[in-house]
Amino acid sequence: MDKKKIAKVLSFRYKIMAAILVVLAGGLVLLPKYQKQEGIKSEALLNHAISPERYISTDQISDKLISRDPSFILVDVRDEASYNDYTLPNAINIPLAKLFDDNSAPYLNQDQFDVVFFSNDNFHADQAWILCYRLGYKNLRVLKGGLNQWFNTIINPKIPSEDMPAEDFELYSTRKAASMFFGVAYQDQNVEKDMAISKPAPKKIITVAKKKKRPVEGGC
Amino acid sequence: MKELEKTKRISIASTLFILAILIGVLTFERPKNTYALNTKSTLEKLTTNDYFISVNEIKRENFKLIDIRSQYDYDKGHIENAINMASSDIITEENQALLTELKNSNKTAVIYGNKPAQANIPFLILYQLGFDNIKLLPVELDYYQNKLIVSPTEVEKSKQDIKSFIEESVKNAKVETPVNVVKPIKKKVVVVQKKKKKAPEGGC
Repeated sequence: MDKKKIAKVLSFRYKIMAAILVVLAGGLVLLPKYQKQEGIKSEALLNHAISPERYISTDQISDKLISRDPSFILVDVRDEASYNDYTLPNAINIPLAKLFDDNSAPYLNQDQFDVVFFSNDNFHADQAWILCYRLGYKNLRVLKGGLNQWFNTIINPKIPSEDMPAEDFELYSTRKAASMFFGVAYQDQNVEKDMAISKPAPKKIITVAKKKKRPVEGGC
Repeated sequence: MKELEKTKRISIASTLFILAILIGVLTFERPKNTYALNTKSTLEKLTTNDYFISVNEIKRENFKLIDIRSQYDYDKGHIENAINMASSDIITEENQALLTELKNSNKTAVIYGNKPAQANIPFLILYQLGFDNIKLLPVELDYYQNKLIVSPTEVEKSKQDIKSFIEESVKNAKVETPVNVVKPIKKKVVVVQKKKKKAPEGGC
């Protein structure tokens, strides 16, 4: 009798299992909607955004510009009018509002060049950095202090006072030379040139006695 | 006999399958600190909305000031009624709960730091996490005889017209020979092939 009952139940086992599977599959619909997250996780973004590693100083940039380093792209995130008025040499203009236009993606989303964002300060440049970094773009940097810092350090470097250490004077002369490279003229630059041109020293005449040719001696 | 073995395998496989699904459902954990905005909509909101708030405004209305500097700086001196939330800790559970509470009670959280640029990063991250009740206080903090001085500043202000400065210097120097002004060379054209948008693949 028992055996018969068991056999009866067992004959239904596939149907039962199929029913359970169907119910479970139906349960998948009830699962909370999985929110797809764009870009890297917020924790990672925060950790990287807090560290000052992304900054590049104005001195480094001016060095790179003077040595014609081809490994980076300068991206001006200010509006077009200020870009047309003054910008860094070779910079391209991607206003912050147009950061994710189709045209700007090839400049930003690549791994051949470093991308250096800059604006008047580093406020908007930082915003551009965070948004692009979240999307996983590589080699992004921010010009520390932006154009205001660029002016204060490179274009119009402060003359060190006499009690300052020698390094400051060296730094000043480097920056002054750099500013001349970027188009600034100084009143004393011509004077220096004039001073440099001194009269050519008269040629000294050194008399060297010529060796007299000996008469050919006979060989053997 | 052979058939019996086959069916046995089928039943074992299906029980394992059901078990796997059950384990999956039970161990499912919701991801924490998810973004509420994607990058495009964040950018759109950033460029259209005004997220600054002036010093005078916080005195008038009901706001919660949040100091995002370190605990040490906060202890040294902070704006009245401000609470401390170091920028590295903004997404801890405790602080998130606090911010959600502020959001639910319709209070505006006002973030400030030593400089607007310092407050910018926590602000933007919280903004992307969906806290749209957050504003930024554009102030610079300074100490004078151990007393905190708060001075409002303007963000992204061009302090000097560099172009006219250069032109002026050239004029003043009375250079006879034209100065070799470095003009921006043609735009660097980066040859990066645009990624073709893939047709959306069918999910399940």
